Amino acid sequence: MKPIIEFKDFSFRYKSQTEDTLKHIDLTIYEGEKVLIAGPSGCGKSTLSSCINGLIPFSFDGEIKGSCKIDGIEVQDASIFQMSSRVGTVLQNSDAQFVGLSVGEDIAYALENDNMPRVEMLPRVYESAKIVDMHNFLEQVPYDLSGGQKQRVALAGIMHDDVKILLFDEPLAALDPMMGNFAIDLIDRIHNDYNKTIVIIEHRIEDVLYRDVDRIILMKDGTIVADMTPDELLVSDLLKENGVREPLYITALKNAGCKLESHDISNVFDMDLTPYKDKVIANFNEAKIHHEVKKNEVIIDVQDVSFGYDPRQKVLNNVSFQVTRGEKIAVVGKNGAGKSTIAKLLCGIIRPNSGHILLNGEDYMQFSIKEIGEKIGYVMQNPNQMIVKDMIKDEVGLGLSLRNKSEAEIEEKVNDTLKMCNLYSMRNWPISALSYGQKKRVTIASILAMNPEVIILDEPTAGQDYRVYTEIMTFLEKLNKDFGITILFITHDMHLAIEYTDRAIVFTDGECIGDDSVFKILGDADIIERAHLKETSLFTLSKRLGLPADEYTEYFIENERMNRHE
Amino acid sequence: MNNFIINLVPGETFLHKLSGTTKVRLFFVLVVYLVMTFDLRLVLPVFILSIIGLISLKPKFTSFSYIIGFVIIMNIVNIILYYLANPRIGSSYINSETLLFQLNNYFVFTLETLWYLGCRFFKMITTFLVSLTFILSITPSEFAAGLYACHIPYKVCTIVEMAFRYIPDIARDYKNIQISMQARGVELDPKKAGLFSRVKQNIMILIPLIITSFDRIGNISNAMDLRGFGKGKKRSYYAEHEETPNDKKVKIVYCVLAVFVVAYIIGRAVFHIPQIWYPF
Repeated sequence: MKPIIEFKDFSFRYKSQTEDTLKHIDLTIYEGEKVLIAGPSGCGKSTLSSCINGLIPFSFDGEIKGSCKIDGIEVQDASIFQMSSRVGTVLQNSDAQFVGLSVGEDIAYALENDNMPRVEMLPRVYESAKIVDMHNFLEQVPYDLSGGQKQRVALAGIMHDDVKILLFDEPLAALDPMMGNFAIDLIDRIHNDYNKTIVIIEHRIEDVLYRDVDRIILMKDGTIVADMTPDELLVSDLLKENGVREPLYITALKNAGCKLESHDISNVFDMDLTPYKDKVIANFNEAKIHHEVKKNEVIIDVQDVSFGYDPRQKVLNNVSFQVTRGEKIAVVGKNGAGKSTIAKLLCGIIRPNSGHILLNGEDYMQFSIKEIGEKIGYVMQNPNQMIVKDMIKDEVGLGLSLRNKSEAEIEEKVNDTLKMCNLYSMRNWPISALSYGQKKRVTIASILAMNPEVIILDEPTAGQDYRVYTEIMTFLEKLNKDFGITILFITHDMHLAIEYTDRAIVFTDGECIGDDSVFKILGDADIIERAHLKETSLFTLSKRLGLPADEYTEYFIENERMNRHE
Repeated sequence: MNNFIINLVPGETFLHKLSGTTKVRLFFVLVVYLVMTFDLRLVLPVFILSIIGLISLKPKFTSFSYIIGFVIIMNIVNIILYYLANPRIGSSYINSETLLFQLNNYFVFTLETLWYLGCRFFKMITTFLVSLTFILSITPSEFAAGLYACHIPYKVCTIVEMAFRYIPDIARDYKNIQISMQARGVELDPKKAGLFSRVKQNIMILIPLIITSFDRIGNISNAMDLRGFGKGKKRSYYAEHEETPNDKKVKIVYCVLAVFVVAYIIGRAVFHIPQIWYPF
């Protein structure tokens, strides 16, 4: 096989940094291979991808040592245009990547830049669109497309002519679980049918392994710590040691004391379970799950609520549910199902057209948005969209100062909150010096300072690697446990739902189609299908072993929680 | 999501179906035509045609009726200010003065001034109608392609196009940030907060908006680089279809019109034709 990507003793340092981001990388990827590059945030995987597609050195200045050849061309000497005709990149943010004003125009973008006459362009755009099954949407505008569709358009836009390498930068980041599966499937189909070299950058290993990959390259701190087949990597403990989440079923098998064999284990659907079966079942039967049923008072009572911006077109239809004190609830459902509308309704930004919402037994219509904000806090997905002050202390105190509290009172409350959130020692830091996870904590603190009983978090972990994810979620769990704060998570992250919440409320097309323990909900094939969720590998594993799926998952999570607290 | 009067999908009527180049050129010629003269005999036909053009687009009048109202009011204010600045302004264009009546030495009403201000108002409204018809008939992509065909560098054309692409996204970000700020206690309700404090609090929303927009710009420019933007000196446009027979007909119209404009401007300089036609 012919090497197509060749790094030899390659190092790179960004102009603004003192340390190398990539250190002495040696890596060869061969023509036609499908390779997954994984690793925690800051491990250098995005920098590596920028070297492959030519953004380094074109857009990001820095110092290159060693050699990197793409399709025989030395990257340092090439222009980005030379690189872009060989490497097609699908970026993580499929919305920002959509530069055209219609599907057809976006797919044609590279051809336009080549100054290709329109008559030649049209059939090629159609062909490319057909590959990703978007040929019936050529006139659509980007605002009407889902994240998954935009990503497919982005893929069609790079499928033209002689592109040899397709590079996917976190393709799963913005997709709901079912769309994620479709994307992985599509990538696999293109790999098989068009003989392209595929490089996927992603830290959700389990989801990528839904379809086979040839090799996984694991990075940490700018170096490659593993370069092996998925089977070899899964047998080892390298993933865990390097801050990347192991597929759940692999962890389950390891926890049961199974000694894994390094072949045929990368897919939970068709791996051979016979060597492990007895051990897992025995292990499960030994354990006892103790159910703690606490019934606390109801804080929020949503009764038969309907809402539509246009009264004829309902976004929510007769929705009812209750939230009791101290609960952790996952609000799940596909994009556009009404999840964020529910959050807006609970915050009082919009009010129901019919039905009632009771806060501690009182009708909330009498309260202003500001007053509701003291009971129900709302934390947005992107902390940059919330932060308005330069200093941590001022940001956290903003809500109080807007309520004209006295200086002394603000000071005291802010200090308490900062201590609660482990931010006290940084109280005088500028916010710009914080990492993403820390910023997230600041935004949560700024809501907590108002002493809410409930906080609603919109996709708290979106786009975060396992380490930051665990940092954020452990922090939230502590808030819930030690301070009794009720938390609603709006999410489509299955792992988050099963690991950190007690209950799931499922929305589809504005209706509440499920409200039960997370384990029951995720064991219900009908709900999973309708809400664009997907079965976790634990469910698949337990079903194949003939164990009750919800109980087995609960047992596993309980186990993991204990391990985490040790 | 997209409540602007700008349409992103090409429509089905005669004007919609012209190519971007034709529409942009016709518009430029008409604007120069309207700027060069106050002559009612020249403005009136364009006024009638622009109304026909506007109606032929079958637009939803309700979606921009407030703009029409706004423009009419602004123009009325404009001519009132013109009058207040110089009540005898008409006579500086027309070589006569017919006094109708006067309040005092300053506030006089002459036939010439009324005629002049009337023509001015009419011309402004016509310019507005032509612009509105143009905006409603074209998509941003066609506009960019049309500008490019007028030999404007394509990087400039792209800026125009990108602005339209991302305005709705930024509007949505703004809305989201506003929601979270309101929940934190920012009072934007006009009944509860004064104008000054609302302005101040809206500025607070702008900070995160600007920061998130900069993140977005970084992403967009990478996405463009990776697909070869800026590769050559020339570029083609997917949204710009080939010249149709209708385009050719309109081309003749705007070429003739352009010749007339040039002749008129030269003629006026040479033969001192007055800028305004005054029948009385």
